[in-house]
Amino acid sequence: MNARAVTSDLLLGLIPIALVVAVWQALVSFGYAPVTLLPPPGQVFARMIQQLLTDTFRQEIAATLFRLFAGFSIAVILGVGIGLAAAVNPAFNAVVRPIVRVLAPLPKVALYPALLLLVGFGHESKIALVTADALFPILLSTYYGASTVEQKLIWSAMAAGTPPREILFKVVLPAAAPSILTGCRIGLVISCIVVFLAEMITSTDGLGHVLVTAARTFQAVDMFVPLITISLLGLILNGLLEAVRSYLLRGFPEA
Amino acid sequence: MMSADTMLKRAAPVLACIGLLAVWQLASLALHNDSFPTAIEAIRAIPSILSDKDSLVNFGASLRRMAVGFGVAVAVSIPLGLSMGRSRAVASFFNPLLMVIYPVPKAALMPIIMLWLGVGDIAKTLVIFLGVSLPVIYHSFEGAKAVEEKMLWSGAAMGLTAAQRLIRIVLPAALPEILTGCRTGLVLALITMITSEMIARQSGAGNILFNALDMGQYDTVFAMIIIVGAMGICLDALFERIRARLVRWSEPQFDIPLSFS
Repeated sequence: MNARAVTSDLLLGLIPIALVVAVWQALVSFGYAPVTLLPPPGQVFARMIQQLLTDTFRQEIAATLFRLFAGFSIAVILGVGIGLAAAVNPAFNAVVRPIVRVLAPLPKVALYPALLLLVGFGHESKIALVTADALFPILLSTYYGASTVEQKLIWSAMAAGTPPREILFKVVLPAAAPSILTGCRIGLVISCIVVFLAEMITSTDGLGHVLVTAARTFQAVDMFVPLITISLLGLILNGLLEAVRSYLLRGFPEA
Repeated sequence: MMSADTMLKRAAPVLACIGLLAVWQLASLALHNDSFPTAIEAIRAIPSILSDKDSLVNFGASLRRMAVGFGVAVAVSIPLGLSMGRSRAVASFFNPLLMVIYPVPKAALMPIIMLWLGVGDIAKTLVIFLGVSLPVIYHSFEGAKAVEEKMLWSGAAMGLTAAQRLIRIVLPAALPEILTGCRTGLVLALITMITSEMIARQSGAGNILFNALDMGQYDTVFAMIIIVGAMGICLDALFERIRARLVRWSEPQFDIPLSFS
């Protein structure tokens, strides 16, 4: 793809976003929606910039990010570990498989009250919820990725005298990397969503808490600010993950 | 006649459930915490919830909203995703917008949507619709992108119009991937259902759950967790059955363990 096609794609993609903002502005300026319910976009973005410059709002973002990263990292470590182990060890697989089948479709938000009662209202319950939700997509895609590794690759490595433990890290893990990273991407988006929800349910800080406080006092402008912030955070994190992905997969034919 | 092996395979999820409940029971006995009832206490509270007429009405309302939201979302998202996968212009038109919307927690839109549409069914169904549609669009998009070009060329050579090709070639070829998206969407529908009801406490399963939490009725809380969990597992199992019928021809051979140890 040449640079010109990329820019024209980008321009085409900006149209619907611009349209959404335009319709939003039109709804307000032609009086279809009262300003108290739907503040004009300019006001929302101005408020957002103003908020981003304050220390308190930045602390809220930091709290959200901390929980997001903690939960997501635990989920990646557990998911990749369990997924790989299940793919290479039939006995472990026989135990883990039914448990995963039962736990994966369970709506984890319903577990949140239990987590609250067990580990309290602090960081721990939110991190645990993020981990619980992000874990399964990562685990499943690691498992699928690792169990579809071409057997011939493993045989060649064995014929070359590689010990089993090294085969795991030198053959299976790299071969499963594209699938694992796809799982991580889904897990990351889910983490963004879940951390926000957890903060909305019970919290004293974080972006979700900002939204709830604004909703209780009917401050429509302040309700939009955290939503746009989490959307931007998601975009930035997704971009970072994409960069990590293209670095890790630089040897693969189509990354 | 079932062999012992397949019988064990069928029973494995049930055994896993029993195992998890046993772990719960032991943990709560060990912790001795008033707000953490034992598994048996929680299970005992289930019949009284299920026999209560009010709560049955609530469950019905929840499931109805979920079914409507999920159905509409699937009906809209699959055509959109498929055409995005087949046309670069459509893809680059919608992709950035979807990427901006994706990380926004849909249930967090609830307070804003409530301001416009009230706390009733429409607001909650809309939130479920939004939650379900994104994964379905994404997976349909990926599925349609991976369709073999040669099949489309042969279809075109045999005189199929573009619309016919989309329905007769792209849709079946992308179906396994689409159904993966629908399965994710189903779980998300349950999650958004519960959270939307938690935010707008008017009716529904989420309403019972979080009201019980606020009033300190802990056995009801845990009983509701079991009920909602069972709902998720049953819906998933049902969907898995339908999926297995629809895409019998593309069953992946995942169950062969790698041999090198």
